[in-house]
Amino acid sequence: MPITLTQLNIDEILRYMGCPPDKADPSTRALAEDCAGQVLRTVTPRWTYRIFDLGLEEKGVRMGGLLLTGEDLKAHLEGCGRAALFCATLGAGADALIRRAESGDMARALALDCAAAAAVEEVCDRIELELQAMFPGCFFPFRYSPGYGDLPLTLQRDLLTLLDAPRRVGLTASASNILLPRKSVTAILGIAQSPIERKNRSCLGCPAHGGCQYRKSGGHCGIS
Amino acid sequence: MEFHELLKASGPILLDGGMGSMLQAKGLALGEYPELAALEHPDWLREIHQAYVEAGSQIIYANTFGANREKLSRTGKTAAEVVSASVALAREAAGGRALVALDLGPIGQLLEPTGILKFEEAVDIFKEMVLAGAAAGADLAVIETMTDLQEVRAALLAVKENSSLPVIATMSYEERGRTFLGCDPASAALTLEGMGADAVGVNCSLGPREMPPLVEELTRWTTLPIAIKPNAGLPDPGGAGYDITAEEFAQSMADLADLGVKLYGGCCGTTPEYIARMKAALAGRTIRDIPRKVPAAVCSGSCTVPIDRVRVIGERINPTGKKAMKEALRRGDVDYMLNQALEQTGAGADILDVNVGLPEIDEAEMMVRVVKAIQGITDAPLQLDSTDPKVLEGALRVYCGKAIVNSVNGDEESLTAILPLVKKYGAAVVGLTLDRNGIPKSTEERMVIARRILDKALSYGIRREDVYIDCLTLTVSAEQAGASQTLEALRRVHAELGLKTVLGVSNISFGLPARPLVNQNFLTMAMTCGLDLPIINPNLESMMAAVRSYHLLMNIDRDARDFIAAYGDAKVSTTITAGNAVPAPAEAGVRDLGKLVEAGLKNEAGQATRLLLAEREPMDIVDNVLIPALDRVGADFETGRVFLPQLIQSAGAAQAAFEVIREKLSGQPGRETDKGAIVLATVKGDIHDIGKNIVKVLLENYGYTVIDLGKDVDPAAVAEAARKHKAGLVGLSALMTTTLKSMEETIALLHREQVPCKTVVGGAVLTPEYAAQIGADFYAKDAKESVDVARRVFGTT
Repeated sequence: MPITLTQLNIDEILRYMGCPPDKADPSTRALAEDCAGQVLRTVTPRWTYRIFDLGLEEKGVRMGGLLLTGEDLKAHLEGCGRAALFCATLGAGADALIRRAESGDMARALALDCAAAAAVEEVCDRIELELQAMFPGCFFPFRYSPGYGDLPLTLQRDLLTLLDAPRRVGLTASASNILLPRKSVTAILGIAQSPIERKNRSCLGCPAHGGCQYRKSGGHCGIS
Repeated sequence: MEFHELLKASGPILLDGGMGSMLQAKGLALGEYPELAALEHPDWLREIHQAYVEAGSQIIYANTFGANREKLSRTGKTAAEVVSASVALAREAAGGRALVALDLGPIGQLLEPTGILKFEEAVDIFKEMVLAGAAAGADLAVIETMTDLQEVRAALLAVKENSSLPVIATMSYEERGRTFLGCDPASAALTLEGMGADAVGVNCSLGPREMPPLVEELTRWTTLPIAIKPNAGLPDPGGAGYDITAEEFAQSMADLADLGVKLYGGCCGTTPEYIARMKAALAGRTIRDIPRKVPAAVCSGSCTVPIDRVRVIGERINPTGKKAMKEALRRGDVDYMLNQALEQTGAGADILDVNVGLPEIDEAEMMVRVVKAIQGITDAPLQLDSTDPKVLEGALRVYCGKAIVNSVNGDEESLTAILPLVKKYGAAVVGLTLDRNGIPKSTEERMVIARRILDKALSYGIRREDVYIDCLTLTVSAEQAGASQTLEALRRVHAELGLKTVLGVSNISFGLPARPLVNQNFLTMAMTCGLDLPIINPNLESMMAAVRSYHLLMNIDRDARDFIAAYGDAKVSTTITAGNAVPAPAEAGVRDLGKLVEAGLKNEAGQATRLLLAEREPMDIVDNVLIPALDRVGADFETGRVFLPQLIQSAGAAQAAFEVIREKLSGQPGRETDKGAIVLATVKGDIHDIGKNIVKVLLENYGYTVIDLGKDVDPAAVAEAARKHKAGLVGLSALMTTTLKSMEETIALLHREQVPCKTVVGGAVLTPEYAAQIGADFYAKDAKESVDVARRVFGTT
């Protein structure tokens, strides 16, 4: 159950830093690698999950007594009778690491921030694999988080409450629905008994969203 | 019976068990607020409380764990009404057979620096609960399931300042022995006993089998009774349920009696059956009453430093005689202090002295800012350095951990003003052996003052171990006989009073040549006389070498581990440079400063600037070397030849150059680099500030004075700063769709109050269209564009 990260995808970190991996100079790549190492040594990923039955309603999807409003998630979870709700966090250590760099070395702070973003994505990928293994023979759309499509960010607190996340993994949401510690994710992984249509992941949930070169030129990175 | 009488009795004290799981078993639905049970399901709650009392609980926790105004905000109920009803109901259920505790759980919002909740607001949230709970007749307060020591401190202060209730404070640890936020039992115990808790301990987190190492650690650091309230084993990862039975729980808990645990209860997953079985299992046990002695130590929220060997206090965060730091304080540039902090801890300082006293600034406000900021980036304990009680109290309130107060002296006025603060906030204190008659010449007179300080401290209830005596260093060039007197006083304080000693070392050599030589030798002599806490510049290798050598030679550094770690593969210079450090000689063919900035080479850029200043005017360098170089990098960034990391690295190099130029310019009136003031802020509710910080570095390099208000900034604070600094431009950043509204409100306020400034906005979710719609004058898509905007606003120079 505990997830221990041993390596991070350096190209992904470079992409988050706003630097196309094939054009990164050696010192930038070295910085990304060094910061990836520091993040791996510092953070303690924690996660928790719960499985819910889903009910499709007119205004959205009902999960554990909570109505997840919007059309996009409803369409996304088509064919899924259940879902795993999970959250993951790198903990306060990642935030402290970035904060420390920010007072004196912004390039390092940026690289650490992006390495931590890559780390939390990696943690989520690993969680997905663990969850999928619990449901052999089932089918899964990509994980979906508040803020994707029209699924409101205001759900963060309720989702964390459903997971008892503050007590179990120390994850909270601020009044403006920012997850704290910062490098954290809440997500819903649909579970279907029969094959479903495979969709590409939305850019909105991607940590590279702000500075993505592909998106700026109207494209998609191809990561699903 | 009162809590204190209960504590005096020889046997174990039984607390209650889980509440949330019991309510769910009664039928509380998913999504219902358990905090409202006293109002909505009083019968269930009464039955649960009664079941615990019947099982043997001598103290039951009222259902107020989450009854704070933050968590209740969406229920339409106030904290006061929920707390009153819950405590009243618990008292009724107890019927005099058990004491009732007001239960204070986490607020549910993280405090600064990880979160955005301010310390004083947290105190206020708990205060509301304490007032209602005490009025409703609670017998004591418990603070539990905490993971942030700062939040426990807020709750404890709220209880102490608003009631006379005794307090049990317990935190929730993981198996590695720390809370989610990094607090360890040692830091918790030292801090909370210092601040007046009546019992400390562990709850929730783990099962009883995981308790022994945590309990053992607590017993090393507190003399208080220990309370343990674990879960029913370890949780099932994907849902409800814990892994041990009531009988197993009871047996494991009873084994804790051997470790001296006084208060026993259960947390998640435990029921009245667990308590009843635990009572039976404990019935035959005696609580081992082991006398405990807690050594002298200070701590932050996550790091304890026992004064069991020489501990170095870094002296660099102090404006006395430091032009650059004075400048930084006047500018309000906290980053300067943070860099000093990191540099000193990197060099080996165990504790950092913090002094921000400068006549023309608000010392109290600056002290709070700096203490909070330093604690956000390092876990080294701090020594709060001021003679003003107001400054000290402000700093002590926000300081997380057990600090050192520097200082009191032997004067009655100083003692009565400062010692009560030391006691209230559980700090240690430095006592200077001087009084209104000045520094006594003789050792004996210094001893008299040291005794006076100690007696007074003890009379306030301050532990002997928390009084550190400073025998004062006199400049040997002015008073050559002084050094031996200081050393003799040190020896006597150490031997006769058994107190820890502290000494500022560097003053000894003032006015002499070869100062490092004198300082190093004096430090060694002082350590031999029993100096525990030298206040020195840890960045000077010769001083740290003296400390490391002392530990080696006195057999404190066992197997020479630290010594070899420090010097094993380094070439140690055995010569000591006399006088001030001389800048390194010009390297042959120092590269063009502009090229160094473009390449992002920080150290080299700083050095090249120093050399260049010998032949060119400071502003000439800024305008004709630095800015053109940054422009070239900026142009390459825009055309996709370089990318954000390189842009920032160039900015970092230019910043290093700028520091050198600023140093040169400081103290030359009218020779400012200032090209206009810009206020930057991440808007209210938002805490993503990395983008804003990148913008800040870039703007500073173009010669603008940036007033950085940080993150989660109130619209009113932005308007006030813009007016105060006559800022021509205000830059606002937001990264969340949910906080764009705050951005809009801030701009609206600037317009409404007619603050004469332009606005520029940026952030991942912003678009030029939205920027225009909310009334911003400019939109900047990246840091480079924000510089272009500044040039348009202030004109290119």
